[in-house]
Amino acid sequence: MNLAIRSQLLKGILEGCILAIISKESIYGYELAMKLQSQGIDVSEGSIYPILLRLQKEELIKGKMKKSPHGPNRKYYHLTDQGKTALTEFKTQWNGLKTPVDQLLKGEE
Amino acid sequence: MDASVLIEQNNQKRKLLNEENKKVYEEMLLYVRLFFNKSEQESEEILMELLDHLLDAQGEGKSAKEVFGDDPRQYANEIIGELPKMITPKRVKVGLMAIFYFLAVTTFLNGVVHSILYFGFGKGDQEKIYYIGTLALEAITSIIIVFVAMYAIFAYLKWSCFKDINKVLESVLFGFCFGALPFGLFLTMFIIMPDFGMSVQIPVYWLIGISIVFYVLATYFKKTS
Repeated sequence: MNLAIRSQLLKGILEGCILAIISKESIYGYELAMKLQSQGIDVSEGSIYPILLRLQKEELIKGKMKKSPHGPNRKYYHLTDQGKTALTEFKTQWNGLKTPVDQLLKGEE
Repeated sequence: MDASVLIEQNNQKRKLLNEENKKVYEEMLLYVRLFFNKSEQESEEILMELLDHLLDAQGEGKSAKEVFGDDPRQYANEIIGELPKMITPKRVKVGLMAIFYFLAVTTFLNGVVHSILYFGFGKGDQEKIYYIGTLALEAITSIIIVFVAMYAIFAYLKWSCFKDINKVLESVLFGFCFGALPFGLFLTMFIIMPDFGMSVQIPVYWLIGISIVFYVLATYFKKTS
Protein backbone atom coordinates (compact mmCIF):
# COMPACT_ATOMS: atom_id res chain seq x y z
CA MET A 1 0.00 0.00 0.00
CA ASN A 2 1.08 3.57 -0.61
CA LEU A 3 2.97 4.73 2.45
CA ALA A 4 1.05 8.00 2.74
CA ILE A 5 -2.33 6.29 2.63
CA ARG A 6 -1.21 3.68 5.09
CA SER A 7 0.04 6.25 7.56
CA GLN A 8 -3.15 8.31 7.17
CA LEU A 9 -5.21 5.24 7.90
CA LEU A 10 -3.06 4.37 10.90
CA LYS A 11 -3.17 7.90 12.24
CA GLY A 12 -6.94 8.01 12.14
CA ILE A 13 -7.25 4.70 13.93
CA LEU A 14 -4.58 5.63 16.44
CA GLU A 15 -6.41 8.87 17.18
CA GLY A 16 -9.55 6.91 17.91
CA CYS A 17 -7.69 4.51 20.20
CA ILE A 18 -6.08 7.37 22.08
CA LEU A 19 -9.45 9.06 22.58
CA ALA A 20 -10.85 5.76 23.85
CA ILE A 21 -8.06 5.31 26.40
CA ILE A 22 -8.23 8.91 27.62
CA SER A 23 -12.02 8.64 27.98
CA LYS A 24 -11.56 5.95 30.63
CA GLU A 25 -9.17 7.89 32.86
CA SER A 26 -7.01 10.98 32.70
CA ILE A 27 -3.56 9.86 31.80
CA TYR A 28 -0.09 11.22 30.91
CA GLY A 29 2.00 10.51 27.83
CA TYR A 30 4.17 7.68 29.03
CA GLU A 31 1.26 5.79 30.61
CA LEU A 32 -0.70 6.23 27.40
CA ALA A 33 2.12 4.80 25.28
CA MET A 34 2.38 1.81 27.65
CA LYS A 35 -1.39 1.22 27.51
CA LEU A 36 -1.33 1.21 23.71
CA GLN A 37 1.53 -1.25 23.67
CA SER A 38 -0.07 -3.52 26.22
CA GLN A 39 -3.14 -3.59 23.96
CA GLY A 40 -0.87 -4.91 21.26
CA ILE A 41 -0.97 -1.73 19.19
CA ASP A 42 2.55 -1.64 17.92
CA VAL A 43 3.56 1.96 17.28
CA SER A 44 6.74 3.71 18.28
CA GLU A 45 6.19 5.38 21.64
CA GLY A 46 6.95 8.87 20.43
CA SER A 47 4.31 8.79 17.71
CA ILE A 48 1.60 9.59 20.24
CA TYR A 49 2.89 13.12 20.84
CA PRO A 50 2.18 14.66 17.43
CA ILE A 51 -1.29 13.14 17.76
CA LEU A 52 -1.77 14.51 21.28
CA LEU A 53 -0.79 17.96 19.98
CA ARG A 54 -3.28 17.71 17.14
CA LEU A 55 -6.08 16.53 19.40
CA GLN A 56 -5.39 19.46 21.71
CA LYS A 57 -5.48 21.88 18.79
CA GLU A 58 -8.83 20.45 17.74
CA GLU A 59 -9.92 20.83 21.38
CA LEU A 60 -10.85 17.17 21.68
CA ILE A 61 -8.57 16.74 24.68
CA LYS A 62 -7.07 19.04 27.26
CA GLY A 63 -3.84 18.72 29.20
CA LYS A 64 -3.36 19.77 32.78
CA MET A 65 -0.22 19.78 34.88
CA LYS A 66 -0.70 17.61 37.96
CA LYS A 67 1.51 16.05 40.53
CA SER A 68 1.97 12.37 39.76
CA PRO A 69 2.03 9.91 42.68
CA HIS A 70 5.69 9.17 42.05
CA GLY A 71 7.98 11.97 41.05
CA PRO A 72 7.59 15.04 38.89
CA ASN A 73 4.62 17.02 37.60
CA ARG A 74 3.01 15.45 34.58
CA LYS A 75 0.66 16.69 31.94
CA TYR A 76 -2.51 14.64 32.38
CA TYR A 77 -4.95 14.54 29.51
CA HIS A 78 -8.72 14.36 29.70
CA LEU A 79 -11.47 14.38 27.09
CA THR A 80 -13.48 17.53 26.40
CA ASP A 81 -17.17 17.39 25.47
CA GLN A 82 -16.15 17.72 21.84
CA GLY A 83 -13.75 14.85 22.40
CA LYS A 84 -16.54 12.65 23.71
CA THR A 85 -18.60 13.40 20.60
CA ALA A 86 -15.61 12.64 18.38
CA LEU A 87 -15.09 9.32 20.15
CA THR A 88 -18.73 8.34 19.62
CA GLU A 89 -18.37 9.23 15.94
CA PHE A 90 -15.20 7.19 15.68
CA LYS A 91 -16.91 4.17 17.25
CA THR A 92 -19.77 4.39 14.75
CA GLN A 93 -17.43 4.76 11.81
CA TRP A 94 -15.19 1.95 13.02
CA ASN A 95 -18.08 -0.45 13.57
CA GLY A 96 -19.47 0.43 10.18
CA LEU A 97 -16.15 -0.36 8.57
CA LYS A 98 -14.95 -3.29 10.63
CA THR A 99 -17.58 -5.89 9.71
CA PRO A 100 -17.61 -5.30 5.94
CA VAL A 101 -13.80 -5.25 5.79
CA ASP A 102 -13.56 -8.43 7.86
CA GLN A 103 -16.06 -10.16 5.61
CA LEU A 104 -14.33 -8.95 2.50
CA LEU A 105 -10.98 -10.24 3.71
CA LYS A 106 -12.48 -13.59 4.74
CA GLY A 107 -13.87 -14.01 1.26
CA GLU A 108 -10.39 -13.44 -0.18
CA GLU A 109 -8.84 -16.44 1.57
CA MET B 1 3.56 26.88 33.96
CA ASP B 2 5.57 29.69 32.44
CA ALA B 3 7.90 28.94 29.52
CA SER B 4 10.93 30.33 31.39
CA VAL B 5 10.20 28.03 34.35
CA LEU B 6 9.90 25.06 31.99
CA ILE B 7 13.23 25.94 30.37
CA GLU B 8 14.93 26.05 33.75
CA GLN B 9 13.39 22.72 34.79
CA ASN B 10 14.41 21.25 31.47
CA ASN B 11 18.02 22.32 32.05
CA GLN B 12 18.04 20.52 35.39
CA LYS B 13 16.24 17.36 34.31
CA ARG B 14 18.29 16.92 31.17
CA LYS B 15 21.31 16.12 33.30
CA LEU B 16 19.66 12.84 34.24
CA LEU B 17 19.86 11.53 30.67
CA ASN B 18 22.66 9.18 29.70
CA GLU B 19 25.19 10.21 27.06
CA GLU B 20 23.49 8.63 24.09
CA ASN B 21 19.96 9.76 24.92
CA LYS B 22 21.17 13.22 25.82
CA LYS B 23 22.80 13.63 22.42
CA VAL B 24 19.60 12.79 20.56
CA TYR B 25 17.38 14.80 22.90
CA GLU B 26 19.52 17.92 22.84
CA GLU B 27 19.64 17.96 19.07
CA MET B 28 15.87 17.76 19.05
CA LEU B 29 15.60 20.47 21.69
CA LEU B 30 17.78 22.83 19.66
CA TYR B 31 15.93 22.01 16.46
CA VAL B 32 12.47 22.65 17.92
CA ARG B 33 13.59 25.88 19.60
CA LEU B 34 15.01 27.17 16.31
CA PHE B 35 11.46 27.48 15.01
CA PHE B 36 11.00 30.69 16.95
CA ASN B 37 7.83 31.56 15.01
CA LYS B 38 6.08 28.83 17.00
CA SER B 39 4.44 29.46 20.35
CA GLU B 40 7.21 29.27 22.93
CA GLN B 41 4.87 28.10 25.65
CA GLU B 42 3.59 25.13 23.64
CA SER B 43 7.08 24.30 22.36
CA GLU B 44 8.50 24.15 25.88
CA GLU B 45 5.54 22.11 27.14
CA ILE B 46 5.98 19.41 24.53
CA LEU B 47 9.77 19.42 24.98
CA MET B 48 9.24 18.81 28.69
CA GLU B 49 6.78 16.00 27.99
CA LEU B 50 9.23 14.36 25.61
CA LEU B 51 11.99 14.67 28.20
CA ASP B 52 9.82 13.13 30.92
CA HIS B 53 8.92 10.33 28.55
CA LEU B 54 12.52 9.72 27.59
CA LEU B 55 13.55 9.62 31.26
CA ASP B 56 10.84 7.05 32.00
CA ALA B 57 11.92 5.01 28.99
CA GLN B 58 15.57 5.26 30.00
CA GLY B 59 14.62 3.90 33.41
CA GLU B 60 13.41 0.79 31.62
CA GLY B 61 16.55 0.51 29.56
CA LYS B 62 15.11 1.89 26.34
CA SER B 63 17.01 4.21 24.01
CA ALA B 64 16.03 7.50 22.42
CA LYS B 65 15.89 5.71 19.07
CA GLU B 66 13.23 3.37 20.38
CA VAL B 67 11.15 6.29 21.61
CA PHE B 68 11.52 8.76 18.74
CA GLY B 69 12.13 6.34 15.88
CA ASP B 70 15.11 6.00 13.58
CA ASP B 71 14.76 9.45 12.06
CA PRO B 72 14.69 12.06 14.84
CA ARG B 73 14.61 14.97 12.36
CA GLN B 74 11.51 13.61 10.68
CA TYR B 75 9.98 13.04 14.11
CA ALA B 76 10.79 16.59 15.24
CA ASN B 77 9.26 17.91 12.01
CA GLU B 78 6.04 16.09 12.82
CA ILE B 79 5.98 17.67 16.27
CA ILE B 80 6.73 21.14 14.88
CA GLY B 81 4.05 20.73 12.23
CA GLU B 82 1.46 20.37 14.98
CA LEU B 83 2.66 23.27 17.13
CA PRO B 84 0.56 26.43 16.97
CA LYS B 85 2.19 29.55 15.54
CA MET B 86 3.13 32.49 17.69
CA ILE B 87 0.26 34.98 17.59
CA THR B 88 0.78 38.01 15.33
CA PRO B 89 0.73 40.85 17.93
CA LYS B 90 3.36 38.96 19.85
CA ARG B 91 5.45 38.51 16.71
CA VAL B 92 5.34 42.22 15.97
CA LYS B 93 6.41 43.01 19.52
CA VAL B 94 9.25 40.49 19.44
CA GLY B 95 10.40 42.03 16.15
CA LEU B 96 10.28 45.56 17.58
CA MET B 97 12.09 44.35 20.67
CA ALA B 98 14.91 42.96 18.53
CA ILE B 99 15.13 46.16 16.47
CA PHE B 100 15.31 48.44 19.51
CA TYR B 101 17.85 46.25 21.29
CA PHE B 102 19.99 46.39 18.17
CA LEU B 103 19.64 50.19 17.92
CA ALA B 104 20.36 50.53 21.66
CA VAL B 105 23.58 48.53 21.43
CA THR B 106 24.89 50.26 18.31
CA THR B 107 24.06 53.77 19.55
CA PHE B 108 25.54 52.99 22.96
CA LEU B 109 28.79 51.67 21.49
CA ASN B 110 29.03 54.66 19.15
CA GLY B 111 28.48 57.08 22.03
CA VAL B 112 30.99 55.36 24.31
CA VAL B 113 33.70 55.02 21.67
CA HIS B 114 33.42 58.67 20.53
CA SER B 115 33.23 59.95 24.10
CA ILE B 116 36.32 57.99 25.16
CA LEU B 117 38.18 59.14 22.05
CA TYR B 118 37.36 62.77 22.67
CA PHE B 119 37.49 63.07 26.45
CA GLY B 120 40.18 60.47 27.04
CA PHE B 121 42.50 61.02 24.11
CA GLY B 122 41.47 64.36 22.69
CA LYS B 123 40.69 62.79 19.33
CA GLY B 124 37.66 63.53 17.16
CA ASP B 125 35.08 66.18 17.95
CA GLN B 126 32.96 66.82 20.98
CA GLU B 127 30.01 67.42 18.74
CA LYS B 128 29.15 65.60 15.58
CA ILE B 129 26.86 66.48 12.73
CA TYR B 130 24.27 63.88 11.89
CA TYR B 131 22.00 63.90 8.86
CA ILE B 132 18.53 62.61 9.63
CA GLY B 133 17.97 61.13 6.17
CA THR B 134 21.33 59.36 6.19
CA LEU B 135 20.79 58.08 9.74
CA ALA B 136 17.36 56.69 8.94
CA LEU B 137 18.54 54.95 5.79
CA GLU B 138 21.59 53.54 7.60
CA ALA B 139 19.44 52.27 10.42
CA ILE B 140 17.01 50.56 8.04
CA THR B 141 19.81 49.02 5.97
CA SER B 142 21.59 47.79 9.11
CA ILE B 143 18.42 46.21 10.43
CA ILE B 144 17.91 44.44 7.12
CA ILE B 145 21.50 43.16 7.12
CA VAL B 146 21.12 41.89 10.68
CA PHE B 147 17.81 40.19 9.93
CA VAL B 148 19.17 38.51 6.82
CA ALA B 149 22.24 37.35 8.76
CA MET B 150 20.05 36.02 11.60
CA TYR B 151 17.79 34.29 9.15
CA ALA B 152 20.81 32.67 7.52
CA ILE B 153 22.14 31.52 10.91
CA PHE B 154 18.81 29.95 11.81
CA ALA B 155 18.50 28.29 8.42
CA TYR B 156 22.01 26.92 8.74
CA LEU B 157 21.45 25.67 12.29
CA LYS B 158 18.24 23.93 11.25
CA TRP B 159 20.05 22.28 8.39
CA SER B 160 23.00 21.22 10.55
CA CYS B 161 20.89 19.64 13.31
CA PHE B 162 21.15 15.84 13.54
CA LYS B 163 24.29 15.89 11.40
CA ASP B 164 27.87 15.32 12.49
CA ILE B 165 29.65 18.33 11.13
CA ASN B 166 33.32 19.20 11.37
CA LYS B 167 33.41 21.81 14.14
CA VAL B 168 36.51 23.63 12.87
CA LEU B 169 35.16 24.01 9.36
CA GLU B 170 31.86 25.09 10.86
CA SER B 171 33.34 27.88 12.96
CA VAL B 172 35.40 29.18 10.03
CA LEU B 173 32.31 29.26 7.83
CA PHE B 174 30.27 30.83 10.61
CA GLY B 175 32.87 33.48 11.27
CA PHE B 176 32.95 34.45 7.62
CA CYS B 177 29.25 34.36 6.78
CA PHE B 178 27.93 35.86 9.97
CA GLY B 179 30.87 37.98 11.15
CA ALA B 180 33.12 39.21 8.38
CA LEU B 181 30.50 39.45 5.65
CA PRO B 182 27.92 41.58 7.53
CA PHE B 183 30.76 43.67 8.99
CA GLY B 184 32.09 44.35 5.50
CA LEU B 185 28.60 45.29 4.37
CA PHE B 186 28.19 47.71 7.28
CA LEU B 187 31.53 49.32 6.52
CA THR B 188 30.74 49.68 2.81
CA MET B 189 27.38 51.17 3.68
CA PHE B 190 28.83 53.81 5.99
CA ILE B 191 31.43 54.78 3.41
CA ILE B 192 29.20 55.06 0.37
CA MET B 193 26.13 56.53 2.06
CA PRO B 194 25.72 60.19 0.97
CA ASP B 195 24.74 62.91 3.46
CA PHE B 196 21.17 64.02 3.02
CA GLY B 197 18.18 65.24 4.99
CA MET B 198 18.06 67.68 7.87
CA SER B 199 21.29 67.99 9.85
CA VAL B 200 21.60 68.10 13.63
CA GLN B 201 24.66 68.78 15.68
CA ILE B 202 24.81 66.98 19.02
CA PRO B 203 27.51 66.22 21.61
CA VAL B 204 28.72 62.62 21.21
CA TYR B 205 27.79 61.64 24.77
CA TRP B 206 24.15 62.34 23.95
CA LEU B 207 24.24 59.11 22.02
CA ILE B 208 24.50 57.24 25.32
CA GLY B 209 21.33 58.97 26.49
CA ILE B 210 19.57 58.11 23.21
CA SER B 211 20.65 54.48 23.53
CA ILE B 212 19.00 54.33 26.97
CA VAL B 213 15.73 55.48 25.38
CA PHE B 214 16.03 52.67 22.80
CA TYR B 215 16.82 50.22 25.60
CA VAL B 216 13.76 51.25 27.59
CA LEU B 217 11.59 50.85 24.48
CA ALA B 218 13.06 47.40 23.80
CA THR B 219 12.43 46.33 27.41
CA TYR B 220 8.88 47.60 27.14
CA PHE B 221 8.22 45.46 24.03
CA LYS B 222 9.88 42.48 25.70
CA LYS B 223 7.73 42.75 28.80
CA THR B 224 4.45 43.22 26.95
CA SER B 225 5.05 40.55 24.34
